[in-house]
Amino acid sequence: MTTNLSRRPEPRVPASAPALEVRGLVKHYPGVKALDGVDLVVRRNEVLGLAGENGAGKSTLLKALVGLVRPDAGEIWVRGEKVRLGSITDAANHGIGMVFQEQSLVPNLTAAENIVLGSEGPGVRHGIYRWNTLRRLAQEQLDKIGSHIDPLARTDSLTFADRQMVEIAKVLRIEERTSHPPVIILDEPTSVLESKEIETLFTQVRRLREFASVVFVSHRLDEVLDVCDRVAVLRGGRSVGEVPAAEAAPAELHRMMIGSTGSDDHYHGAAAERRDEPRRPRLVVRGLSGRSFRDVDLDVHAGEIVGIVGVHGSGREDVCRALFGAEPTTAGDVVLDGEKLDLSGTRAACAAGVGYVPAERKTEGMVGPMSVADNMTLTKQKSRCTGPVVRPGKQAKLVDGWIERLSIRTPDRGTAIQRLSGGNQQKVVLARWLVAGDVRLLLLDHPTRGLDVGARSEVYRLLRELANQGVAMVLLADSLEEAIGMSDRIVVMSDGRATTEVAAPTGDKPTPLDLVKEMV
Amino acid sequence: MKFTSRHTAAAIGVTLAAATLTGCTEEVGGGGPAAAAGACDPADVTLVGQVRNESNPYEAAWLDGGDTFAEQVGLTQQRLTYDGDSTRQQEQISQLLAGDTECLVMNVLPNGDSDTPPIVEGAEEAGAYLVTQWNKPADLNVTDYDYWLSHITYDGVESGRQIGDALAEAIGGSGGVIALQGVLDTGAAKDRFAGFEESLAANPDVELLDDQTANFSRAEALEVTKTLLTKHGEDIEGIWAANDDMALGALEALQQAGRTDVAVVGIDAVPDALTAIEEGSMTATVSSDGPWQGGIGLAIGYCVATGELAAGDIADEDRAWFAEQFLIDQDNVADFVSPETTESDFACDNLFSRSQGAMS
Amino acid sequence: MTVTSPADADLEVVHARRPRPRRGVSLRDAGPPVALVVVFGVFAALSPGFRTLSNVQNVLDAAAVLTVVTCGITFVLMMGSIDLSAPGIMGASAIAVALLVANNRNDNDFGLLGVVVAVLLGAGLGCLSGLALVTLKVPSFMTTLGISAVGLGVATLMFAGVQPNVSDRMLEGLAVERFLGLAHLTWIAFACVLVGWLVQRYSRLGRYAFAIGGAEEVLALSGVRVAPYKVAVFTMAGAFYGLAGVMVTSQLGAGLVQAGKGYDFSAIAAAVVGGTLLIGGRGGILHSAVGVLLVTVLTNGLVQIGVSPYWQGGVQGLIVVAAVAAAVIPQRRRNQVTK
Repeated sequence: MTTNLSRRPEPRVPASAPALEVRGLVKHYPGVKALDGVDLVVRRNEVLGLAGENGAGKSTLLKALVGLVRPDAGEIWVRGEKVRLGSITDAANHGIGMVFQEQSLVPNLTAAENIVLGSEGPGVRHGIYRWNTLRRLAQEQLDKIGSHIDPLARTDSLTFADRQMVEIAKVLRIEERTSHPPVIILDEPTSVLESKEIETLFTQVRRLREFASVVFVSHRLDEVLDVCDRVAVLRGGRSVGEVPAAEAAPAELHRMMIGSTGSDDHYHGAAAERRDEPRRPRLVVRGLSGRSFRDVDLDVHAGEIVGIVGVHGSGREDVCRALFGAEPTTAGDVVLDGEKLDLSGTRAACAAGVGYVPAERKTEGMVGPMSVADNMTLTKQKSRCTGPVVRPGKQAKLVDGWIERLSIRTPDRGTAIQRLSGGNQQKVVLARWLVAGDVRLLLLDHPTRGLDVGARSEVYRLLRELANQGVAMVLLADSLEEAIGMSDRIVVMSDGRATTEVAAPTGDKPTPLDLVKEMV
Repeated sequence: MKFTSRHTAAAIGVTLAAATLTGCTEEVGGGGPAAAAGACDPADVTLVGQVRNESNPYEAAWLDGGDTFAEQVGLTQQRLTYDGDSTRQQEQISQLLAGDTECLVMNVLPNGDSDTPPIVEGAEEAGAYLVTQWNKPADLNVTDYDYWLSHITYDGVESGRQIGDALAEAIGGSGGVIALQGVLDTGAAKDRFAGFEESLAANPDVELLDDQTANFSRAEALEVTKTLLTKHGEDIEGIWAANDDMALGALEALQQAGRTDVAVVGIDAVPDALTAIEEGSMTATVSSDGPWQGGIGLAIGYCVATGELAAGDIADEDRAWFAEQFLIDQDNVADFVSPETTESDFACDNLFSRSQGAMS
Repeated sequence: MTVTSPADADLEVVHARRPRPRRGVSLRDAGPPVALVVVFGVFAALSPGFRTLSNVQNVLDAAAVLTVVTCGITFVLMMGSIDLSAPGIMGASAIAVALLVANNRNDNDFGLLGVVVAVLLGAGLGCLSGLALVTLKVPSFMTTLGISAVGLGVATLMFAGVQPNVSDRMLEGLAVERFLGLAHLTWIAFACVLVGWLVQRYSRLGRYAFAIGGAEEVLALSGVRVAPYKVAVFTMAGAFYGLAGVMVTSQLGAGLVQAGKGYDFSAIAAAVVGGTLLIGGRGGILHSAVGVLLVTVLTNGLVQIGVSPYWQGGVQGLIVVAAVAAAVIPQRRRNQVTK
């Protein structure tokens, strides 16, 4: 892996100049000051973490660095040279590239095409593709990061983690445009990866450091501290400080992000108080089998949160969807409160009082352009209708009530849900199952995915409340820590089977390590 | 119970509608024919001819015929076209009727059946003399109106039979033929094919090998004919087409297949078909005589407006009638390549001489 | 992999069970060709007339014009746009070519040059659609509908009341003369498919059209200016329609304003039946060509086996829906998002 290093030419500018420097960057949007004089230094061959709550200005800053946003004031210096970045191509020419949060690959092209997209070089001559050259160019990129993906595979047939590798390989193409070590920005690269995949990614990030500078953005502070050399913190559009990763603790970073000592232990809510006498389980699953899971048994009591953990491919998502009737099953019985649950479709599940919060909030969880009110009453039509007639008054009263109870921050109930922040969107999605007042079982597929620390806490609090009211929940958590913190009991799935069950009462929580042993 | 009540409601609805309709009819009838007696100075009469499109040779010839008549009586015809757009046709008519309508004579080709009623109602209200051609709903009766003087159309059954007979004759009274139908759900297509079936019945040795629709389209006729030529091959001796466009498409298919021994007939007498008949590649077509249509409508209106003909004197059978059509074959094609009308065709005592009988 | 642990080994196992990455054509695309073979087989079994060589030639000849129109529309559909301009562009090019080669209206006799001008006219009109789309940001549905009207208007002006009949030997010969049993027009259609396939596979234009349909915003994020490619795709589509207009004129021996009537929807239907979906980023020229053949075989076969014309429309529709349904069965599970 040192070959990459040896063929890098020596930089012409003084070695003291940082790879990238931002001075006093300001950007106004109507009514909002997204960047309010940000300073940032990215040194050579370092991994710089960028932390900050949603709205701290992280994404605006990143966009400015790749030429997608034109700052109102301030300067960007690349290797001691002041630059003006008017477009993503400009940024690439200066050696700055970004892996976007939402994966930015064309799904129906080959991996090779995606890697060279927009900078095909000798792969396309006079508008004509030369596939062999193209393949070779892509292979070179994949070799740099040690990936074994077939360059001619269609991108949409690759796993998520592989696609991320393709994305990194693509960003590294900017090396072809400049003789300098590039600056690679990774925006939330881990938000949808499982732990194994994250480990692979981190290996790649460390490898990148050998010949590039990396800016790493993540909501997971433990990760940031794990992989970065230094962490810079943004708050309210300003730089509020930076710390060497080796010396910092998540709590300290969190404090810097929110500006005061926040309680980091949001999951460790008092769960024990609500325990009364053991009851008959609300949900009883026996021998459930489907395409990617076999013989799954599961009990969930009223008021209990049961976490399911497992590596990517363990089949836990499919079990969750199967319980909602959204994934076909081949065998098994599911009984809800003594009645057999019909798994033939989502309608039956809804009618039986089962709610589902999907992982893909933007595509499966909500109808973006529709209003908060319409999204909230999407499933339980009878909550807003009399027969086939929508009654706006009835709907308004109901929706306003829930907006208040869940403290959903929205200008009003008629606002399009896509204009809300992620956390508030998720609250609306949750409220959808609450409006009818008959939800007995909630299936939560990564309910906090993509949410920042503050929003997560609110979702956790809400889930706790629901549990206290007697709703049974199955939780597929975003991280092991979340699963441990939130669940009363944890079921470990591996290879499509439920292998172990671990009790996780308050005060006697298992450690992540205990679970990992069972997962693999 | 629900069922019964719905029935009752329907019954009431029908009764109401019927009552309304009868009411209307009586009211109009009560106006009496006296209202339509004209006493216009011939010089004050305004003549208007309205067709879809001047780029259609047949309709252009229609307007030319109107000009010929207008010249004959020392007037000019106002030429209107509406590009086959029903809305535009209605707008043009309302504009006309908003002006001076006292001695207005209109010879109109309605875009479709449903366009006729509003034109008729408008003319009746404004007291403008109206003759319509080709399209009208079957249940709209000319005799219920005073200013709607006449409706002229052609018997599609007759056209279909005429060319069918011509085709049978061309193939020597026996042999296989195929038929290209028009748009299947139109009256013209149905009538013309019915006439062809009559002809087939009268010529028992002519065998209909296949009938397909080519939707009155030249391009579709080309494809369908090619397919049928591969299907039936040498058995095909004649092709019956419900209009000339399809006949011309069939001719192209025959040419591409290298067949010169097949007789083709069509309807409408479009210029290309006449050329083909002159050249001998096509057998026959049927003409409605566009220039005469353009003149006769104006002539009827003019005669009534000037008082030479009392509206009440027009026999009921001349209020809605089939006009004579002409079979064109190689013998008489020269007469129709540049058709002419004679002055006597439009004389006030000769207006209905081409009638083939009242519309049934 | 620098670290090898039991965990990694397990990861490999899990990965192995996932579907293999796809390269090139896969089973997923097999639906329409299978449907074509089945439909062909059924007609061949039912009708001796259908399975003759001359009828197969006839089917291929009959598919020629629709194939060329579909070649053009396929690129637009791949981009996720839609194109309804075929009738207008074909009409304009049909009249233009009829007036430029030897004809009964004027003394022109430009021969092949006339054909080239007509195709360029089509390309120009297509280019206008594209420009309106990218500069005025009007959806392609509306711009192409407008351009169709413009094309028909141009055609009507040139038509001027007298239909131009073609007497040019070369142009008429394209429809009449044969090479290896197929009309020259059919070979032109084959050539168009080949050119289309090469463009789709080997040109930046074709690959980007495909990518635009897949994820347009990604192209922008990769520093690609999308607009010129969109305009180019519409221009190319216009050229194909222009050529199709010339072909119709050659077949009918006359320039008709209505030369392209109905071809817009027939071509879209054929493309979709073949697997070039309206959502963009799917299918391609070969898919569409299979779709054209399927539709043409159906039309021909129903006549050959003697289905009454009153039934044909309905029967054809049913078979098309059934064929598409059969074709998407292998894909249906994919609609359920599995993360």
